[in-house]
Amino acid sequence: MAETARVNPLVPRTGRIIKIVDETPDVKTFHITTDSGKPFTPLPGQLAMLSLLDVGEAMFSITSQGPEHLELAIKRVGMLTDALHEAEEGQTVGIRGPYGNGFPVEELKGKDLLFIGGGIGLAPVRSLINYCIEHRQDYGHLWIIYGARSPADLCFKDDLFNNWPRVENCRVDVTVDKGDAGWQGHEGFVPAFVEELHPDPAGRVAITCGPPIMIKFVLQSMEKLGYKDDQIITTLEMRMKCGIGKCGRCNLGSCYVCLDGPVFTLAQLKQLPNEY
Amino acid sequence: MLKIAKEKLPELLQAWAAGAKVFVPQEKGGVSVFLPWEGQGKLTLGEGNTLEPPKDLFFPRTETMYRYQVQGKEASLTEVPPLEEKRVLVGIRSCDARSLLIMDDVFLTRGYVDEFYRQRRENTRVVALACSEASPTCFCTSFGIDPGRAEGVDVQMWPVAEGYLLEALTPAGQELLGQGSSLLQEAGSENIPAAARTSLAVEVSGVTEKLQGMFEHPYWTAVSRKCLGCGACTYLCPTCHCFDIQGENRGNSGYKFRCWDSCMFSEYTRMAGGHNPRPSKKERLRNRFLHKLQYFPERYGKFACVGCGRCLDRCPVNVDITRVIREVKEVTL
Amino acid sequence: MSSMQEQMRARARDLLTRGEVKMVIGWEKGTFWYLSPPVFITDPGDCDRLVWDEFCTNNLAKYLLDYKLSEEKIALFVKGCDARGIVRLLQDNQIDREKVYLIGIKCPGVKDGRQAAALGEERRSEVPLAEKCRYCTHPEPVIYDELLQEDGGTAIREAADAQEGRFAGVARVEAMSPDERYAFWTGAYDRCLRCYACRNICPACNCRECIFDRSQSGWCGKQMSRSENMFFAITRAMHVAGRCIECGECERVCPEGIPIMTLNKKIIKDLNELFGEYEAGVNLEARPPLGQYKLDDPEEFH
Repeated sequence: MAETARVNPLVPRTGRIIKIVDETPDVKTFHITTDSGKPFTPLPGQLAMLSLLDVGEAMFSITSQGPEHLELAIKRVGMLTDALHEAEEGQTVGIRGPYGNGFPVEELKGKDLLFIGGGIGLAPVRSLINYCIEHRQDYGHLWIIYGARSPADLCFKDDLFNNWPRVENCRVDVTVDKGDAGWQGHEGFVPAFVEELHPDPAGRVAITCGPPIMIKFVLQSMEKLGYKDDQIITTLEMRMKCGIGKCGRCNLGSCYVCLDGPVFTLAQLKQLPNEY
Repeated sequence: MLKIAKEKLPELLQAWAAGAKVFVPQEKGGVSVFLPWEGQGKLTLGEGNTLEPPKDLFFPRTETMYRYQVQGKEASLTEVPPLEEKRVLVGIRSCDARSLLIMDDVFLTRGYVDEFYRQRRENTRVVALACSEASPTCFCTSFGIDPGRAEGVDVQMWPVAEGYLLEALTPAGQELLGQGSSLLQEAGSENIPAAARTSLAVEVSGVTEKLQGMFEHPYWTAVSRKCLGCGACTYLCPTCHCFDIQGENRGNSGYKFRCWDSCMFSEYTRMAGGHNPRPSKKERLRNRFLHKLQYFPERYGKFACVGCGRCLDRCPVNVDITRVIREVKEVTL
Repeated sequence: MSSMQEQMRARARDLLTRGEVKMVIGWEKGTFWYLSPPVFITDPGDCDRLVWDEFCTNNLAKYLLDYKLSEEKIALFVKGCDARGIVRLLQDNQIDREKVYLIGIKCPGVKDGRQAAALGEERRSEVPLAEKCRYCTHPEPVIYDELLQEDGGTAIREAADAQEGRFAGVARVEAMSPDERYAFWTGAYDRCLRCYACRNICPACNCRECIFDRSQSGWCGKQMSRSENMFFAITRAMHVAGRCIECGECERVCPEGIPIMTLNKKIIKDLNELFGEYEAGVNLEARPPLGQYKLDDPEEFH
């Protein structure tokens, strides 16, 4: 092998799935580590390229991390995610990263934060929520508004119903598009729910992620509530292959989502072509 | 300034071939392409430009990155080391020389260095050939490229009546010319021939700014109608650098490779689950032109088109970037 | 200027002004004198862009697939080979005959733009007919709503004797030894860029989603290697087998000059021998040879 000084950014290292948690019928959280512990220490909002060597490789957001492992929440939508959902604990994987710009944790200090998530969209946002909780004194009020199609589709139920409500100065509001027999909570779409709760824009920054259709309507609702373009942050996804801003495909105008994103403010997004 | 007689050129190529693989334009299957010099072969050096740009030497059509073995839950991978072979690229034109600088911006800058590309680039010496005549499809001068002087090369050659003038521009170039010292003579006060003039030209200043306001303009619908959505333009373009990463399985083992990809193909931006931000030809064609004329200048400060003319020569339906530039500038917003 | 051109412009202007069609597809002058690429006219005032000359080679039929979902009627000019492309699309159930208005052109043959470029404009009259036109058996379109021809009834090209020279390229390869044949085909297909220009211009390639656009399926690797290129070439040839209208566009558009028609014609020659003489895209009612069976079909594998 060539000198170890030159690391080839397109070649992953091997790691292992040490734990799999069923979140919903089509979402699982995978805990990944390597022989030498955590492969890297990502900032909240950063991404990793995960692969099953004989199936394929794709970019996923890192939803959480421990001292020795990374957590990736993955929805079953295609060939690779299908194979991952069939995999068992102990499976060797390829991992490389961290990629992307992450959330602007410094600029957000001292502000009240509003997290709006839909479905699997909570996964990248969760990394920021947990970071804020870990550095609780640096951040103001934390308000989490989250929704999914049904109670079964709610991700990270433990955080939503046990951990986060217990955090100091933190509020959690959950809705589902359609409840089931046992559901006691709110029923309705996330954008309408946000308007119902009308969180005050003063001193607040909103971070949102979810299916494109939800983001579209959430942004409209935020505008109605008086949020300015630089008070709204979102994280995007695109088809990615290299992860390092060279293969060309994840471009949004002159930005590469894998390198200059995936986190963008609405102000930045409005400067870029509407192609996502 | 040195010079070499035309008949002696094959010997110079041979001298260089002793220590490196020498790529020079030759005829194969009726077309002119960069091929390794093996002592014989029909040189097409100086006859127009090659059909394919030399980007294949630095960014190959297909490149194996690593091999893997999978056995149940266990798997391992072995990196395929980047190519270390020494090469000399002879006869590159000024347009293609500029394209190498553009590829350098893509592969060597912005936080990550592509090792496959870097290794090939570092191990290749570049000898450019000035153009004394332009093809009807050439418009390099519109991008400030001088057909008589290539940028970023080790040796510059000029065709003259009896042979070629050569000038070393870097220490590596000096070394190359040193290897052929017995074949080269002092050129004395011989004049460098005048550079070619192109018949095709287009005024590019202001096009980036104009395009910045044109994303939703109906112009793109009109211009994309005749496009076939094939990848001919992208694959013949010296600066197109998009690639895909795929794997090839053989039972328990396989390899991961990267290969050329084209933004003109439908699955280029298609996400798992089906969502595609560029669902039709119009979005894809618009993205291609915006990338060359707006996004790349915004990001790297230079146009990503070098005026080589290959796309407009080979496009099955004559989609012409010079015409697009002209029409964009005339469009009313 | 030919009167055919004037007629084309007049008809297009008329159809658009009266709202009978929303768009007319024809040809216009391109960057150089030897290029007459497709043009899409929606405004009657633009009809003067239409031209008719010896470089109107592009088969326009395939573009109808871009407008499959549109409710609007489209007019297009069709030469003999283009009309066979229309029949191809109709037989493959890809277009609605009611939404297309066909203006047939009795074609005198077109010329090769590349050969023209090599000769130069001063020698325009010396540019030979495109090779495919020498074997053309249907210079008059087999399907049309109206037919245009030159005023004064300039004699159009006689339909060529189908056999004369049509399979000459195939015979040349058939005469090679297996090693020579391998060298011939690999020499050609090693150059293949997998740009899919051949597929995209072909009226017979009309699948809604081509397998080569689904690299995930794993049928064909995306690497541009000898085996994958060959796989693409042979697969496409087999997919159009029995449906190829011999318009020759695939070979014309290939940026690498690969002899694609030799492969397609080999298959046509074999099909003629196995299942009887057949010309695709001529008779709307006749089924393609691989789209039917007869009880007396050759059966070599008891």
